[in-house]
Amino acid sequence: MTRRAIVESLVEHERASATPVVHGRVPHPSTGRSSDADFVTRHVPETQGETQGEGLLDDGSLRARQEWFARAVMSPETMPAPSVSETDRVLTGGPQLSSLDRLEVYRRAYHGRLVECLADDYPALQASLGDPAFERIARAYIARHPSTSPNLNAYGRRMAQFCEREAPLEGPAVRPFLTDLASLEWAIVEVIHAPGAEPLTLAGLSDVPIEQWADARLATTPAFRMLRFQYPVNLYFQAFREGRRPAVPEAAASAAAVYRNTRTIWRMDLSDPMFDLLGSLASGDTLGTSLERAAAAFADVGEEVAVARVMAWFREWVQSGLFSGVSFG
Amino acid sequence: MATAGRPLEYLDAIAERYPIVMHGVSLSIGSTDPIDRSYVADLRALRDRTGALWVSDHLCWTGVAGRNTHDLLPMPYTEEALAHVADRVRYVQDILGAPLALENPSTYVEFGGAPMREWEFLARLAVEADCAILLDVNNVYVSAYNHGFDPHAYLAAIPFDRVVQMHVAGHTNHGTHVIDSHIGPVIDDVWRLLGDAYRLSGGTSVLLEWDAEIPSFEETHAEALRAKPFVGRPGTDAVVASHHP
Repeated sequence: MTRRAIVESLVEHERASATPVVHGRVPHPSTGRSSDADFVTRHVPETQGETQGEGLLDDGSLRARQEWFARAVMSPETMPAPSVSETDRVLTGGPQLSSLDRLEVYRRAYHGRLVECLADDYPALQASLGDPAFERIARAYIARHPSTSPNLNAYGRRMAQFCEREAPLEGPAVRPFLTDLASLEWAIVEVIHAPGAEPLTLAGLSDVPIEQWADARLATTPAFRMLRFQYPVNLYFQAFREGRRPAVPEAAASAAAVYRNTRTIWRMDLSDPMFDLLGSLASGDTLGTSLERAAAAFADVGEEVAVARVMAWFREWVQSGLFSGVSFG
Repeated sequence: MATAGRPLEYLDAIAERYPIVMHGVSLSIGSTDPIDRSYVADLRALRDRTGALWVSDHLCWTGVAGRNTHDLLPMPYTEEALAHVADRVRYVQDILGAPLALENPSTYVEFGGAPMREWEFLARLAVEADCAILLDVNNVYVSAYNHGFDPHAYLAAIPFDRVVQMHVAGHTNHGTHVIDSHIGPVIDDVWRLLGDAYRLSGGTSVLLEWDAEIPSFEETHAEALRAKPFVGRPGTDAVVASHHP
């Protein structure tokens, strides 16, 4: 969702907030405003607010005020707002808005900001679901996982798990597909925030004596993730990035690597044998051990074909900057 | 805060070419939760890395009880809050080894029963905690609109010898209230308020904030340069920046 869309949705919600349609909210006591009423001007004396609420504020301390305010702001917008008489005990009305209307500006901004954060991290998931369904899931996520970090970079990290287990889905949404897509998009975010590294080059490897190769251990670049999927989500994501609006694909096992060494993020489809070989290397196995494991996948072809194929992958991976170091022994 | 990965690489590349000042949204200087020491340590490390001239954040709190709203929430302007924030500012400045500047936030509601207005609280805080001020002229306008005070009363209270920078920005006016959206051009009333603040300051850097729907570099730069008639001295340059909570 763009910032503009957020602002526009704020405007819509602000109109709604002048209308106590949310179940359980107490209608404005002094105006009894109706559903089409505009915001109502009401002045609250500056001295008001220290009054002991009926268990709402234990005392007028900074701590108590902050706990009350945060609870109100972070409560889902489908939940009742505090009553006007309650907010009047803590907050002031302004020239044109009641204390409750003013508090609601913060509640809308809190949810709108986190929805926007999740939309930034999951643009293909959002496009696949459509804006209303994505926003419904995002709001459920926000209610389930309040932020506990000063940094929003990792806020969306639980989205794949959330899609798999809890996300409120409607209509034809396919849970395992959404889970896969969220996993891929989160891998991209992780790779952006993982440290970059100088890639190992073929030239750099040419110094390695041939007899040492079997003992070589290759370090994948630190910004590197490998994932297996039930759906071909890398293809789907590529189509999304090219501006198309692909349909949800048929289930078909797939795998991909996501990585960067410079500023560009790369996604690479992996076949099963590729995934096994690369996974073995990434876990710290020597090249010899990894090749032996991969050989099982080539039982149906001759050894010469298998070696040629594996060496071709290996060269391609090195040239693609997948590795950042090599050690021996 | 960029402490790793590609954002940090971009920051390093920028710091090689330009002087840096750091501007944050997550210090939560007014919260009653304990100061997040690892966050402040990260700030210090980033300050050392970039050579930032100062570190700024907002006079606000962002969460409590371990939860973060990622918003700049208003403080009750009480004596209790003033003593609390002043203590925390001194603590943070000791760790940072650099001046901390606090910015007046845009606010949409005020706590009742508060004996001080924001300008009085900010002015006393700056003196008592010996910190700098980042005066956001647009935020003065926005809060004045939302709370019905005279923005010039705000300016009159500010100890301008402590102001290290001033911000201007576009905002979104909903009629009943104004949201500090950092979108679009700066309105004339805010430019004029900048001119008034600039005269009181005797000269300081000015920064245009634009966070979303950012137009071409030329158009954005031209908007920043609209500050020139309001900042008196020819040759004073304005800069443009964007930040997200």
